[in-house]
Amino acid sequence: MECRVLSIQSHVVRGYVGNKSATFPLQVLGFEVDSINSVQFSNHTGYAHWKGQVLTAEELNVLYEGIKLNQVNRYDYILTGYSRDMSFLGTVVDIIQELKKANPSLVYVCDPVMGDQGAMYVPENLLPVYKEKIVPLADILTPNQFEAELITGRKIKTKEDAVEVMDLLHAMGPETVVLTSTDLPSKHGDQFLVALGSQIIVKPDGTKTSQKICMDIPKVDAVFVGTGDLFAALLLAWTHHHPKDLKAACEKTVSAMHHVIKRTITHANEMAGPGKRPSPAQLELRMIQSKADIENPAIVVEAKVLQKSSH
Amino acid sequence: MECRVLSIQSHVVRGYVGNKSASFPLQVLGFEVDSINSVQFSNHTGYSHWKGQVLTADELHVLYEGIKLNNVHHYDYVLTGYTRDTSFLEMVVDIVQELKRANPNLVYVCDPVLGDHGSMYVPQNLYPVYKNKVVPVADIITPNQFEAELLTGKNISTEKDAVEVMDLLHAMGPDTVVITSSDLPSRLGDRFLVSLGSQRKVRPDGSRTTQRVRIEVPKVDAVFVGTGDLFAAMLLAWTHHYPNDLKTACEKTFSVMHHVIQRTISYAHKLAGPGRRPSPPQLELRMVQSKADIEDPAIVTEATVIS
Repeated sequence: MECRVLSIQSHVVRGYVGNKSATFPLQVLGFEVDSINSVQFSNHTGYAHWKGQVLTAEELNVLYEGIKLNQVNRYDYILTGYSRDMSFLGTVVDIIQELKKANPSLVYVCDPVMGDQGAMYVPENLLPVYKEKIVPLADILTPNQFEAELITGRKIKTKEDAVEVMDLLHAMGPETVVLTSTDLPSKHGDQFLVALGSQIIVKPDGTKTSQKICMDIPKVDAVFVGTGDLFAALLLAWTHHHPKDLKAACEKTVSAMHHVIKRTITHANEMAGPGKRPSPAQLELRMIQSKADIENPAIVVEAKVLQKSSH
Repeated sequence: MECRVLSIQSHVVRGYVGNKSASFPLQVLGFEVDSINSVQFSNHTGYSHWKGQVLTADELHVLYEGIKLNNVHHYDYVLTGYTRDTSFLEMVVDIVQELKRANPNLVYVCDPVLGDHGSMYVPQNLYPVYKNKVVPVADIITPNQFEAELLTGKNISTEKDAVEVMDLLHAMGPDTVVITSSDLPSRLGDRFLVSLGSQRKVRPDGSRTTQRVRIEVPKVDAVFVGTGDLFAAMLLAWTHHYPNDLKTACEKTFSVMHHVIQRTISYAHKLAGPGRRPSPPQLELRMVQSKADIEDPAIVTEATVIS
């Protein structure tokens, strides 16, 4: 498999977020990963302390220029995630547009990281950049409920709302949308959260239809960092292998996530000791130890196909 | 296996040198790798063009401070390679010394990158830093012949010279020395180069013993970049699994190198086409594709135990 990904994300010396979270899984799955580190921090910002340096939009452009001058600016995928800087994001857009001209088949996988649980945790001025420039270029989008609502201006209270929001997102650009988590009630009870996905498929006769799926995912009583980055990377990998089967792609992605998370929480609780809440350092994803699950995830979550509708 | 490595090396967006070359293999072998990127370049400097940014000694210190403030500055290994900046190198030494105080069992694997084939390709003022400060705190070093000669001030013309040079290097600090390549004639002919290794151990009764090995390594007609970085990372891994058996550690390490290089050169020739010399991008190591060989290398080079 010759598949080259350009991933523009954070680097942390210790732990698994951003490029540290995305690179290893993609590499063990056989992808060539070129990585531009948007920052270099000692660790993620959930620790008591963090220190490091950020890459400016200009420095990003310089790195891309180096790739271009050597005529190796040809990628099959681009992957982006958490960003805090509007001008940096603007340069990312320019780069993606140029790479899409170099390879019109390029697939841009975008995690539009803006916030969660009703609040933004990036500067507000990023929203218009995402809405007007980034999302229209994206081919695969992995918003959570809050981000999907922000981008479309529509609230999600029912599954029907979620379906409409995903269709609104399709209309903005991406053919594949996964709502990575929602507050919708799960039929399995409150120990589960609901995730949904939608993929536009072009039928042989040229008409468009969409496959919509729904998953009930076991909740875990802990705050993990880097799981969204891992999710987007795994979704890239599994939609690559199952380009017209979002159900299969999501089952593999979510199942792999489950194995990594379970291994992580078990280890974290062991390290913290009985009755103590694990620290951020102890909760770092057990990425290396999950190699086998990443390579070949046992399916533990089933995605239900919701409906096929024509557009 | 709970084993954490701090690797302070270059990062390239594309290709496999420095941390890009060291991290993936160590990770697939189950090591936790914390990586400080000393530079971020688009690609290695053997391409027609390269662009990027370097980390200053101060910025290195700031990153280390972050790790320390969170009380997670506990490492089993430190790994370093190519550096061009003396103040950066001196900061690395300070960090290694502090990490050794935090964990006296820490093993510092150092590739003392100074030059090759008779000439230095780093600034000259790095040489005293390596000699006087870095090598004395190293536990495992992987110099080539030129670097071994430079550090000890002794030339290598025979295997006996090489053994003496490795003993001189032991006396400077490291208990494990591998001369990764030399001009010594191989008993298998001129399609092979000779590498040598030496490991000094202290017996339970307090007496010293040294295991020395010689490895005949098939030459490949191409210039690879990042192979030294891969070598040091793999020697770290295999001496970890065989801490008292340099022969086996070297056989595994040199065998992995062989598989990765063979896969790389085959692919490079395919890309370049018949009769054409492959370009630097085409010669990038086939790292990801060599995962199975990295995990479990079939032994294809045998190490001979010498005096």
